[in-house]
Amino acid sequence: MTGPTLNVRSLCINYGPSAHPLRAVRDVSFQIAPGEAYGLIGESGSGKSTIAFTIMRYLRGGHADGQVWLAGQDVMRLPEAALTQVRGRVAAMVYQDPMSALNPSMRVGEQVAEAVRLHRGADRAAAAARAVELFERVHLPTPSDIAQRYAHQLSGGQQQRVVIAMALACDPKLLIMDEPTTGLDVTTEAVILELVRELRRETGVSVLFISHNMGVIAQVCDRVGVLYAGQLVEEGRTVEVLHAPRHPYTIGLMRAMPQPGGAAHRLASIPGRLPDLQDPPPGCVFAARCEIATDLCGDVMPALLPASGREASHGSRCHYRDEAEALLPPPPLIAHGKASLGAGAPLLEAVGLEKRFGRRSWLRRAAPVRAVHDVTLEIPPGQTLAVVGESGSGKSTLARCVAGLIVPDEGYVRLEETRLAAQVGRRSRLQQRDVQFIFQNPDGALNPHWTVKQLLSRPVQLYTDLRGDAVRRRVVDLLEMVNLGERYLGRFPREMSGGEKQRIGIARAFAGNPRLVICDEPTSALDISVQASILNELIALQARHGTAYLFVSHDLGVVRHVAHRVAIMRHGRIVEAGDPAEVFERPHDPYTRALIDAIPTLVPPPAVAEARVTQIVR
Amino acid sequence: MASVASLPRARRRPRLRAADVPFIAFVLAVAGLIAFGAAVSPHDAVALDPLHALQPPSLAFPFGTDEFGRDVFSRVLSGARPTLLLALAAAAMGVMLGAVTGLVSGYLSGATDEVTMRAMDALMSFPGLVLAMLVVVMLGPGPINIIGAIALVFWPRSARLVRSMVVDLARREFVDAARSRGESPHFIIFRELLPNVLALVIVDFSLRVTAAILLAASLAYLGVGVAPPTPAWGLMVKDGQPLIEIAPWLVLFPCAAIACVSIGAVLVGERLRRVFALPGAEAGR
Repeated sequence: MTGPTLNVRSLCINYGPSAHPLRAVRDVSFQIAPGEAYGLIGESGSGKSTIAFTIMRYLRGGHADGQVWLAGQDVMRLPEAALTQVRGRVAAMVYQDPMSALNPSMRVGEQVAEAVRLHRGADRAAAAARAVELFERVHLPTPSDIAQRYAHQLSGGQQQRVVIAMALACDPKLLIMDEPTTGLDVTTEAVILELVRELRRETGVSVLFISHNMGVIAQVCDRVGVLYAGQLVEEGRTVEVLHAPRHPYTIGLMRAMPQPGGAAHRLASIPGRLPDLQDPPPGCVFAARCEIATDLCGDVMPALLPASGREASHGSRCHYRDEAEALLPPPPLIAHGKASLGAGAPLLEAVGLEKRFGRRSWLRRAAPVRAVHDVTLEIPPGQTLAVVGESGSGKSTLARCVAGLIVPDEGYVRLEETRLAAQVGRRSRLQQRDVQFIFQNPDGALNPHWTVKQLLSRPVQLYTDLRGDAVRRRVVDLLEMVNLGERYLGRFPREMSGGEKQRIGIARAFAGNPRLVICDEPTSALDISVQASILNELIALQARHGTAYLFVSHDLGVVRHVAHRVAIMRHGRIVEAGDPAEVFERPHDPYTRALIDAIPTLVPPPAVAEARVTQIVR
Repeated sequence: MASVASLPRARRRPRLRAADVPFIAFVLAVAGLIAFGAAVSPHDAVALDPLHALQPPSLAFPFGTDEFGRDVFSRVLSGARPTLLLALAAAAMGVMLGAVTGLVSGYLSGATDEVTMRAMDALMSFPGLVLAMLVVVMLGPGPINIIGAIALVFWPRSARLVRSMVVDLARREFVDAARSRGESPHFIIFRELLPNVLALVIVDFSLRVTAAILLAASLAYLGVGVAPPTPAWGLMVKDGQPLIEIAPWLVLFPCAAIACVSIGAVLVGERLRRVFALPGAEAGR
């Protein structure tokens, strides 16, 4: 068979009433050749997961028009009985969260064996043997031992490999991977990406790879499509699209992405938000947020056409595809000058912090885990110290010890001359005001039953002498400080986007003019374009107020962008610290090196090119 | 420190809609029944009239009469007050005690939580009826004691319910945010956490009203509750039970009254839950 493995033709997906539907996906067409890996890039709400589910015809209340040809069969027109033949055998899915894709009360070996029995009618022994074989295929260590374990006994990376093994159970022609590495650490992510490359090379399976991370896409995909508000706005070979984008949205995404290497420039954020998909604009979907949009863009929807002088396969849905890059203003250089280090006394010092969890008791035998192990650090006034580490490194525990939310077993925190009480409740009101916290998850950090006005008035009342109307004025000032307006006063958290909620979290932290703000992964729950604007916001606020940051993150690109000093943490200890440029370019510790090497960059690994060649030859 | 009361209270609730009319009508009807039930009943609810004993429903006696010739319709009307006031008060008291216990215990956790919840377990280890009976027997009958006894039965059950939700909520970052801001436990419990469990407490209350009617009836059945001849609905069911084969209306109508109030209470509770549920949820839809 020589036709494409997957051929999606003018796919439209609507939700809600047919009179006034939410148009989640509009007129999307793409093909995946046998053995090819195709990436779909998009931010939340772009419709990328909806497309993935529709390929398997899991519509969940939606209505789809168009054609989806999977290995020569139109999935949209297959009877329900034939669909079960397609699912798993022709196309198999790998989901974002392996923990919820696995049954917690079933041994992982049995789960994979069950898939084999179901689709191939193999007997128990053969199915179990096949499961172990598959585990070996995905390089799980001691496969027959792992097969006997339950999902919670495996690490995140191992769980994801089990899910991949399950997807491979029936030798599918197409693997659909929906953000398969999003919840994983960079080093684990690198290993999974390598596995995907290897599987392609050795089994010739086609891959539809969905991600919001352009680095990850560059590592595995031959071709890529950029989705925005349910439309494919740009498509072409990965190298072409990511290195010479021809659509303002793609260009914006690339400029919004903080990178660990290269010159520090101010991240370009994309202002505005997604258009209302119940009432999409008649012209270009991106026009409202586009810096170079003209009247033409508002009225006429551009077609997905190649730019002149580019390969015919590289299309962009922009009227100005030829000159988009030149028309867009260049990214401004970074504003914050790196102040000299060690000037004056540190604002905050943490001395010999130690925190153990799971103390020995008559109920618990396990030895305590040292989450933070003898950590000493200092932050000069007005500067950012970034603490970097993977999950379980103890970085969040460290941040919470400094904030007084967790009481350390040993050590103490000093703010200038005074030693702070271990518990935040025991600190003076002034000390509480001086050290503020910005949380990772903007959804959880705001009380869902409070309006923005309540959320921001409270710290103003606690930390200042303002009363009555002055409080309201201060709250409006705070809102304007984070680029939100007075109209947000009456809103509840539910009525705001993730980025807006995080801005409220920032405004709340700055309500009392703090000296130190602890940022615990403040952008890891946000889209790239939103992340850029939040980071810019934090840098601007620091420049204006001289606030010091303790910035906790797993993302080296983000850290490179904001930090004056960086500390790498592993197993509760700081393994390396110093100037970010120094640490990233000449890491001394092998772990730091591994961490930096694992970051998916936009330069594709040679293996992708090779695999492509072998596919073509075959 | 700023006073708690000075926080602006801005809560956008869904506006009154046509769909709310039946709920409001129901609440008004129940309130009217409690207030004027006895006054509008056509016959005396307690006077004996042996000449009209055990009459089936007719125009004169729409719900029939009992073995003493008392009009069942009048008894149902005038029974609303003793039945419902007692049930509402007992349910409110039990749910309130439970909510406060659950909030405090769930938020403080540790030793406080352990001690409180084991005490609640101890209370729960008594069958509800036995516990209520013990209290009434010890303190003596009388509406206040019966209310207290029923509330005591509900207390641990509501406390558990609220605590389980609070334990979950207390892990959320907005509680950490409040702590790092320097808020007192009192503020966190009553201003941060309470609004989040309010919807649950209201649904709990609406279910407890029915349970309270039945528990009061059981107490009466065992002879420790409301004393005859008070026309409480539960008591009427109990009194009519021996005659159920020859005069089913004696049980049917008070049961129907209990069922109506119960179903209504649950529906109103469900509606209120939506009103108190996450603000912005409805507007966003």
